[in-house]
Amino acid sequence: MAVIRIDNLTKRYGDIAANDGVSFEVEAGEIFGYLGPNGAGKTTTIRQLLGLIKPTSGTAEVLGADIRDRRALTEAKASLGYLPDELGFEERLTGDRMLDYYARMRGDERREELLELFYPPLDRKIENYSTGNRRMLGIVQAFMHDPDLIVMDEPTAGLDPLKQDRLHAFIESERDAGKTIFFSSHVLSEVQRVCDRVGIIREGKLVALEDVESLLTRSGKRVWVHLDEPVDVDEFATADMLDIEAIERGVRFTYTGDYNALLEYLGQYTIADIEIGNPQLDDIFKHYYGEEVDGEPRRTEASEVNGEPRRTEAPEVDGEPRRTEASDHDGGEGSSRAEGE
Amino acid sequence: MTAVLRTESRKLARGTFVLTGAFALLAAFMLAAFPAMAEEAELIEQAFPEYVGGLFGMEAMHTLEGFYGSYLFPFLWTVFFGVYVAYVGGGTVAGDVRERRMDLLLSNPVSRESVLLQKVASLWVPLVVVNGALFALLYGGSFVLEESIDPVVLAMAHLLSIPYLLVCGTIGVLLSVVADRTESAQAGALGAVFVLWLVDGLSEMDPEFEWVGSLTPSHYYDPAAILIHEEFGLVDAGVLLVAFAVLLTVAVGLFVRRDI
Repeated sequence: MAVIRIDNLTKRYGDIAANDGVSFEVEAGEIFGYLGPNGAGKTTTIRQLLGLIKPTSGTAEVLGADIRDRRALTEAKASLGYLPDELGFEERLTGDRMLDYYARMRGDERREELLELFYPPLDRKIENYSTGNRRMLGIVQAFMHDPDLIVMDEPTAGLDPLKQDRLHAFIESERDAGKTIFFSSHVLSEVQRVCDRVGIIREGKLVALEDVESLLTRSGKRVWVHLDEPVDVDEFATADMLDIEAIERGVRFTYTGDYNALLEYLGQYTIADIEIGNPQLDDIFKHYYGEEVDGEPRRTEASEVNGEPRRTEAPEVDGEPRRTEASDHDGGEGSSRAEGE
Repeated sequence: MTAVLRTESRKLARGTFVLTGAFALLAAFMLAAFPAMAEEAELIEQAFPEYVGGLFGMEAMHTLEGFYGSYLFPFLWTVFFGVYVAYVGGGTVAGDVRERRMDLLLSNPVSRESVLLQKVASLWVPLVVVNGALFALLYGGSFVLEESIDPVVLAMAHLLSIPYLLVCGTIGVLLSVVADRTESAQAGALGAVFVLWLVDGLSEMDPEFEWVGSLTPSHYYDPAAILIHEEFGLVDAGVLLVAFAVLLTVAVGLFVRRDI
């Protein structure tokens, strides 16, 4: 059953289409990542789902309520939790009073349990909160009434890595308990780590809708290699390396092939330093979703689908990418993912 | 569902407390000046140009009823209190929308109609507290000054100010629903109430323009008539309540339709 059903949703501001014919569904019990660079239209979609802004055309259903039916949507909100990107609290209230306030409207049966995981200073006025504390208070209010659907807009912004991990683990346990989570992010690694499915929005248009596994294989890794000896880039390059460029005493490239093959290949060089990380979202867009400037996208797709000549180096092992997560350069990611699975 | 009303009422408590103090202080100063003014009442009434009489009334200044009705109430209630309530009304929606508080608030199972009505209902705090406290002070003042005033008549002057103040407040709410910024809504609202009061007073100067005055809310609240002549003008109060209902309906209508 679809918990969110978006049908050709369009929101125009003059000539600019913040959302342009967006359609997709979010199924019950999944973590759906809504991925896109800043300004792509993620928040516009979310705010339409909540009935805060009206679509120019098209519509959506949230928990069975048509967003154009204000009464039905208001009732549905009893089972909805929302964590906005910008948290507008009553600044003069203490955290406790703020939660009391919302509890009067929708209950707070899970408040204490949540406060053990996320603990803003409840007796202080919100105007004195740090960004992280505001975010924690936002998380508590979003989940405290045990909603069936939680909509989160950039939920980890302002949280330290430890709390980010905690939130990711928490979201996964909620999903396992049957809750549906819809969250937007511009951080690819975050979406990769926790989401089951991903919708990618760019300039108001939904450019991709796929499960996270295929996104993982498509997006590859960003690799920096510093070598002891200078090397000729053309000689160094293999077909799985995209965007290869020479840097001082080394090369930098996006790698889309098999990781074992890469490690084996690099073994023939004397490596002074190496860094393997996730590519920027913009790079992925460049390679896979439009921007047909250099025709690059197709090439990688071909090499992925079927064994090209260079595949001889090592057998393709599917599903392997996860292993490399442990070596991810922004530490801690690997462990949180392992927990989740 | 009164959660919004509770929180909004609490938010108005501090401002109301300050306003009550300021009003009490002003009223006390005015009362202190009363014995001297009563003696010179005739002189004062003549000394002011005619339009000041039009604005404030300036009638029967030698009695406490006249002093309250044509000086203290027009000054404190019709102008200051009206402007304050309009200002508060101007702060109901625009700021919440701009600071994204409305996003979170409306993620609760509460309709926009309910949110706005509860916010307007929270105006009970200044209306009741200031009127209550000042009634006590003004009535008590009559004993200190060894004058007498009918408490029922004084209470009516307070009670009948409420429809007027509600209209002032709703002018603010209406602007707050339309405006992008709190400051514009608040400045617009207090400016509008002040200008309407000026127009009302000045329109009385010229019979040709008297009809303009009938379009202003202060035209329907006349503390001098209540206190001096004991004319309670219940029809006028009715007119104000209808205006309040119309303005509120328009504000709700606009609020449920606008993008937040």
